[in-house]
Amino acid sequence: MASDDGVQAGLTAAVVAVGGGAAADRLCACCVQLLAVDGAALSLTSGGTDYSVGVSGTGIKTITELQFTLGEGPCFDVVSSSAPVLVADLNDTHRWPAFAGAAAELGVRAIFALPITVAGFPVGVLTLCRHRPGRLTGSAVTGVFLAAELAVLPLLDVMGTDMRAALNDVGSPAWAELGSMMRSEVYQATGVLIAQLGVPPAEAMVRLRAHAFATGLSISDIAYQILDHHLYLDDDDKDRPGSER
Amino acid sequence: MTEKREHDIIESFIRFADRLIDDVDVLDLTTELTRDCARLLDVAAVGLLLADPSGVLHLLAATSEEARTLEAFQLQRDEGPCLDCFQTGEPVNVEDLRNETQRWPRFTAVAAEQGFASVHAIPLRLRDERLGALGLFGTTPGTLNDDDLKLAQGLAHVASIAIVQVTNAPERSDILAALRTAVASRALVETAKGVIAHTHGVDTQEAFNRLRDQAHQHRQHLADVARDVVSGRTSTTAPTGME
Repeated sequence: MASDDGVQAGLTAAVVAVGGGAAADRLCACCVQLLAVDGAALSLTSGGTDYSVGVSGTGIKTITELQFTLGEGPCFDVVSSSAPVLVADLNDTHRWPAFAGAAAELGVRAIFALPITVAGFPVGVLTLCRHRPGRLTGSAVTGVFLAAELAVLPLLDVMGTDMRAALNDVGSPAWAELGSMMRSEVYQATGVLIAQLGVPPAEAMVRLRAHAFATGLSISDIAYQILDHHLYLDDDDKDRPGSER
Repeated sequence: MTEKREHDIIESFIRFADRLIDDVDVLDLTTELTRDCARLLDVAAVGLLLADPSGVLHLLAATSEEARTLEAFQLQRDEGPCLDCFQTGEPVNVEDLRNETQRWPRFTAVAAEQGFASVHAIPLRLRDERLGALGLFGTTPGTLNDDDLKLAQGLAHVASIAIVQVTNAPERSDILAALRTAVASRALVETAKGVIAHTHGVDTQEAFNRLRDQAHQHRQHLADVARDVVSGRTSTTAPTGME
């Protein structure tokens, strides 16, 4: 297994340079490579539907979809609790009888599902599964949490498809970009947009980010303009700059 | 010591002690600790940084937007008394920030911008384990008296024990899970502040007061109230102290 730094560098590289769905696939493939798991999937779960944005292979795709067919499984628990669900051995849990049985048939013994949160709100799930039972160890422990942080970027890209071209140009430094989104003023401005435009949290964040790209300003600057009532993002103009007043 | 203050101090310690046997939530705990310190000590604002098992610090609570800005600045720029306090595990007392421009050139400038003149950073730790740092910010130069410093350290100790209880799972993955949830909860609270600020035309500080009061009145976790606000299930209309 790679070192802590190696894992971080590998995962980060996976989401830079390519945007959206391609980055999601690469991030999942990278999880399999670096975190000693056999499958990884990234799904959008907002609005009660599951939509696979990225997968490392067909096995894991079946496992994630299975949960939505059966109406139970770790993904559901992650979304309802906003907390990670880490199951070292599916044989030891009685939480999802139907899902555990189906997963066992597919040879899955351990499953780790983490919420992908935007503005603190769960919008997706990163699911990792392994044939061998057992807890996460070594650099895989921090690695899965890092991957869940990074997964925000491809998820937001997929939601705001207009931005993909812009993102490709930027070749964005993923951590800097994530850091810029995790600031209090950005969350607060996201809240303002949620109330003002009546959109869900992820869409509000997508709008903020799109406006930052379109104007060349930092997302923090845009957030302050919104909080200070100097900028109103329009209801319909998604990808164009909002009206300055 | 006035009777009221004595009563408040006792109540604060009892509340933390209750947390040890109750349903512990890291965000609630750190929010209460900062609020109690701001109320009981002669300081203007309080902020709290908590470390994850990799030693990376996260901003979990602050009693004012100015303190929040200052704590976030330290994390982003990797400079400031709260970071030094965390790294050494020892308190850092700065009577007058104007005398420390060489030690923390960028931090002192931002602190002055935010209206702060003094800082006392108190370590959160349990035995050898460093958990984080509590930043006490004053708007006038001067040092806290011994009683205040001891009280701050005492509250920090009790809070540390409670935090360790939550995060003291045998596995590193469980600790990371608890902290990640706390950090996401804080994001949710900030977002909810924006929703309330826009909906009711109040500033973000007042928005936070309303959130917190609602959580207290209904004995809910702050994060749960915030989630309801963001998902539009409830609207926090009542001004502070009223239903």
